[in-house]
Amino acid sequence: MIRFVDATKIYSNGVVGLKNVTVKIDKGEFVFIIGASGSGKSTFLKLIMHEETPTEGEVYVNGYSVHNMPKSEVPYLRRSLGIVFQDFRLLPNKTAYDNVAFAMQIVEALPREIRRQVPLALGLVGLSKKAKAYPSQLSGGEQQRVALARALVNNPAVLIADEPTGNLDPKTSMEIMELLDEINQRGTTVIVATHEKSIVDAMKKRVITLDRGELISDVKKGSYTNED
Amino acid sequence: MKIRTLRLLAKEGTKNVYKNKLMSFASLATILATLFVLGLVLLIIVNVTTNLEAKKQDLQVKFYLRVDATRLEEEEVALFIEQSRASGVVAEYQYESREQAYENAKKDLKYEALMEGLTPENFAVGYFVTLTNPNDSDQFIAKLKLFSGVDSQWITYPKQELERISGMVRVFNYVALFVIAVLMVISILLISNTIRLTVFARRKEIEIMKYVGANDWFIRFPFIIEGMLIGLLGALLSHLLTSQAYGWIKDGLNTLFNSIKISGLQLVEFGELSIRILVVNVLFGVTIGIIGSFMSVKKHLNV
Repeated sequence: MIRFVDATKIYSNGVVGLKNVTVKIDKGEFVFIIGASGSGKSTFLKLIMHEETPTEGEVYVNGYSVHNMPKSEVPYLRRSLGIVFQDFRLLPNKTAYDNVAFAMQIVEALPREIRRQVPLALGLVGLSKKAKAYPSQLSGGEQQRVALARALVNNPAVLIADEPTGNLDPKTSMEIMELLDEINQRGTTVIVATHEKSIVDAMKKRVITLDRGELISDVKKGSYTNED
Repeated sequence: MKIRTLRLLAKEGTKNVYKNKLMSFASLATILATLFVLGLVLLIIVNVTTNLEAKKQDLQVKFYLRVDATRLEEEEVALFIEQSRASGVVAEYQYESREQAYENAKKDLKYEALMEGLTPENFAVGYFVTLTNPNDSDQFIAKLKLFSGVDSQWITYPKQELERISGMVRVFNYVALFVIAVLMVISILLISNTIRLTVFARRKEIEIMKYVGANDWFIRFPFIIEGMLIGLLGALLSHLLTSQAYGWIKDGLNTLFNSIKISGLQLVEFGELSIRILVVNVLFGVTIGIIGSFMSVKKHLNV
């Protein structure tokens, strides 16, 4: 499903993002990527979604060779992924419903299909009643739920979340994590980059630890304390 | 891309014009101002060119037959001129018979004594020909010289005048082209800057679209529709403004000419040019809008 083979990313300013990382994430897994700021968590995710390409090595995602794929294929790679960000990244001038529908319009889904799937996705994240609200009318947790619904609506094989709880209070954070777990139970591979100890410890999932770009540990049912 | 999607994106672009009111207004104002200036420049060009061309039309080929030309020779020339008019080479002509030439000479000459002993038979038949295209004069004169009845010494055409006017038209056209080119460059810079601001304000939106998996055309299309609509609106408004302003300028100049008693300068009616100016405005506005949007979005697509 996702495979890094000796992948290295050095940015143009000389900063090392990742260094010789080899790792494999199978279908249906739930994986935390942890590490301090600048450890390479974001670079790891950026390589998966082709926001960056590796300087050396290979990265395979859902059958795409990310390290040497043509630009025209990038949209298709991204459609096979659901992406959730710390700052939600919702379109401010669209309602919750339209934000979710937008992801389906991009893949040119039939209007009938959109009318059926969007309420289901909003229902899954518990926001059926806020479909008509604009992002500015929603709380942080609710906005992140909309972002999750958007990420899920096209049934992606992999869901990537970059610090999804970074802007949320602990209670809401746990709710979002439970939601991610539920999504994972339905068969979607979930990869979460975070530095929130409590969440990682509570979830008891696979934990990949990065430090200054290097993969220093990869533990099944791990916790943040493995690193401490 | 499916028709359904194109329709959706076109709707999106149309809505965006309204949603981003301030930026739309800024772009619209820029396009309007540019097209207004362009319209006025075009009108000046048309007016100057029309007046210069009219001056060219006043130039006539004048020629006389030999005094001893036979009837047959006269008829040959008459037939040639008539055919030339039928084929469109000659716009119009005046014929001066021997009798008319005699009468005219009598009128012109102060001393009747000079006319003594002269009869119409001592005068030659003359033609004053206005060519449809003054540039055909050389060819026309060459043909005239082939006729035995035509006195080739008495073919006159103010060639220097023609060349002077043609030269002026040419220089003026170059200047006009230069002014239009400069205007175009300025307007493209102005408009793409304004659109770049619009796009910059919405770069987050573009970024989100990219992350959700939109391809470049999906992102670009609404912006292009937006640019096109603003260009079109700018063109229509500018057309209204230009027609009004031209009306005022024309009235002002006519009053001025009348007051200083200058005549002969004919200002073209806006109505005659209305469609042409509108077409130029619309083409220019829409193209600028589309190119401006296309270029400005491009920069933000590499996410």
